[in-house]
Amino acid sequence: MNFITKYTTLLLLPISALVSAEALTVEQIISKANIASYYAGDDGRAEARMMIVDQNGNKQMRQFSILRKDIEDEGQQKMLVIFSRPTDVKGTVFSVEKHIKQDDNRWLYLPALDLVKRISAGDKRTSFVGSHFYYEDVSGRNPNEDNFTLSETTDKLYILDATPKDPTSVEFAHYQVKIDKTTFIPLEATYFDQNNKAIRKMTVKKTQSIQGYETVVHSRIEQLSDGSFTEMQFRNVEYNLQLPAQIFTERSLRNPPIKWLK
Amino acid sequence: MKVLNQYSALALLLLSQSIANAESGINQATASMFSQQEQQSTQDDLWGDDWEEEDETLSPWQSSGFVELGYGRFSQNNVTPSQQSMAEIRTQLALKYVADWGNINSKTDLLVDDVTAQTEFDIRELNLTLNVIPDTDVTIGRQVITWGTGDYLFLNDLFAKDWQSFFAGREDAYLKAPNDALRILHYQNGITFDLVYAPEFTADNYLNGERFSFYSPMTKSIIAPRNFPVTTTDKEQFSARIKTTINSIEYALYGYKGFWTTPTGQLTEGVNAGKSYFPSLISYGASIRMPFMGGLFNAEFASYNSTEDSRGTIPTIANGQLRFLLGYEQELFTNFTGAFQFYLEKTKDYNAFKASAPMPDLIVDEHRQVLTARFTHLAYQQRLTTSLFAFYSPTDKDAYIKPSITYRVNDQWQYSAGANIFLGDKQHTFFGQHQDNSNIWLRARFNY
Repeated sequence: MNFITKYTTLLLLPISALVSAEALTVEQIISKANIASYYAGDDGRAEARMMIVDQNGNKQMRQFSILRKDIEDEGQQKMLVIFSRPTDVKGTVFSVEKHIKQDDNRWLYLPALDLVKRISAGDKRTSFVGSHFYYEDVSGRNPNEDNFTLSETTDKLYILDATPKDPTSVEFAHYQVKIDKTTFIPLEATYFDQNNKAIRKMTVKKTQSIQGYETVVHSRIEQLSDGSFTEMQFRNVEYNLQLPAQIFTERSLRNPPIKWLK
Repeated sequence: MKVLNQYSALALLLLSQSIANAESGINQATASMFSQQEQQSTQDDLWGDDWEEEDETLSPWQSSGFVELGYGRFSQNNVTPSQQSMAEIRTQLALKYVADWGNINSKTDLLVDDVTAQTEFDIRELNLTLNVIPDTDVTIGRQVITWGTGDYLFLNDLFAKDWQSFFAGREDAYLKAPNDALRILHYQNGITFDLVYAPEFTADNYLNGERFSFYSPMTKSIIAPRNFPVTTTDKEQFSARIKTTINSIEYALYGYKGFWTTPTGQLTEGVNAGKSYFPSLISYGASIRMPFMGGLFNAEFASYNSTEDSRGTIPTIANGQLRFLLGYEQELFTNFTGAFQFYLEKTKDYNAFKASAPMPDLIVDEHRQVLTARFTHLAYQQRLTTSLFAFYSPTDKDAYIKPSITYRVNDQWQYSAGANIFLGDKQHTFFGQHQDNSNIWLRARFNY
């Protein structure tokens, strides 16, 4: 009996060692969350709409299509956002070249003037078309911009704290993000100011598995100081369309690639 | 007077409607907040309409437009026929048909204009774009074309401008006048080849006395002639550009063969003697635009060759110029952007120009310089835009200041107010001559 127990202990030992090795490091969690949020598939297409609601309840709507292509996972990425509503932004096209080691390049095409306007990199935490989403929320904040620590692990969530490496570049002092343990989708992110007061909150309201990729189809960002918020919904999401690289050029600003938008 | 009453009645109607709209918005919001509390999970009230039903992507036809009321007055007496700088109702209808092979695009304005006492049917865009040739887009018809890196300063962009709209405080889009042209855009290995052929020259909508006054060197006074004698040309214009982006830096080369876009020449013989005209012009240039220190830097250069007066000795034809521009833009604080430009315009063959000038004391500096600053502040989800654009010329000792404030009530209603203020030491300089054109304006727009 003793003999057997000895052996079982010996047998069990490497298994428990294996289990502890499987516990993910903070870097691995962040990396998986980054891929789940912004790099699903090799490329993708979605239709989106936003409802922007101010502190008095006044509403504005934005409707657009998104095309995205990854050059490499967690690396370079190209994105086109083509607006169809409302009237005064219809035909406006926003294009992003996302980089990791340098600032992203962003352009905005204004059809009434035939103007290709470049947006400076410093504007990344500026509102995206008047919504509570920042440019950076749309294209994804570079994980290298923050230091992460794992503060808690529950049955379903990894709860991480993030502190910006360059505090002058952002409006928050730190943020907390709750990441789903199975899908690695960040389900909630709360941003705090210097006094540790929550100022802004992102909440995922609905996810859906599309072609095997867990996809956020409804999310919300709220300005906690005044209760104003923006909700964003996605539909007709499709991955791995084999989008050609040529559609992510200046050509598509003037002449959006209709073939890939249908 | 009757027309004016009609305008104010309409303005009141527009205003009361939008207030009613805003109020109902608030009511809706309170209603939706209640329902939110009751059934937090559904959220259907927030979106109101059903996304599935209004699936416009299924239809190849798209339409949109707006109705806008604009009113502006000179802030002092002007010699122009009207003391109103703007008094108009504009209705725009945009129609677009989109297909795999290309699109058909039209934008038509109906303008009831009290300043000119005319009703105009103005086709801003009517064109056909074909993308059937690989890597090539061809657009034929009336279209708006813009290139170059300047902000309200144009070096290599010689496409028609509407200075009357700019001075009156119309929306920025109206600064660009449309061109009847054939445009071929070809994309190859990351390089864009852009060729524009206009079979018939399109001039700027320059100041001619109809709306705004200007300085006449002949009478040495500010005038607003009822008929500004100009003879135009129907000859062709060519514009070309090659553009590429390497390591985030945008490079472009430009060329132009056509005419000065404002009547910078005067005919001395023939039946049209005494009339102004558009002398021929050949230009070439280059530009770069790149990220720099968290902002954007741009530089542009253009050489204007006034080919009918290549030695600069003919006093009735504008001399050639070299134009240089340096610009920098950065977000200075959250939602507050500053943009600055330095512009230099060197008159070629300056000695010859000076020697042949009928009034040498009124001629422009050999190195005319302009500094510009633009400050833009966005607030309330970018619904309130406060902007100030200022031109200042240390060589002309004059300035042009354009403050404006725009409030976007919702996706339909938008109000703006602003001013065009001209300052100057002298009566004849570029901006100084427009001091009497200083004006304030208001606009209300309904998008549909």
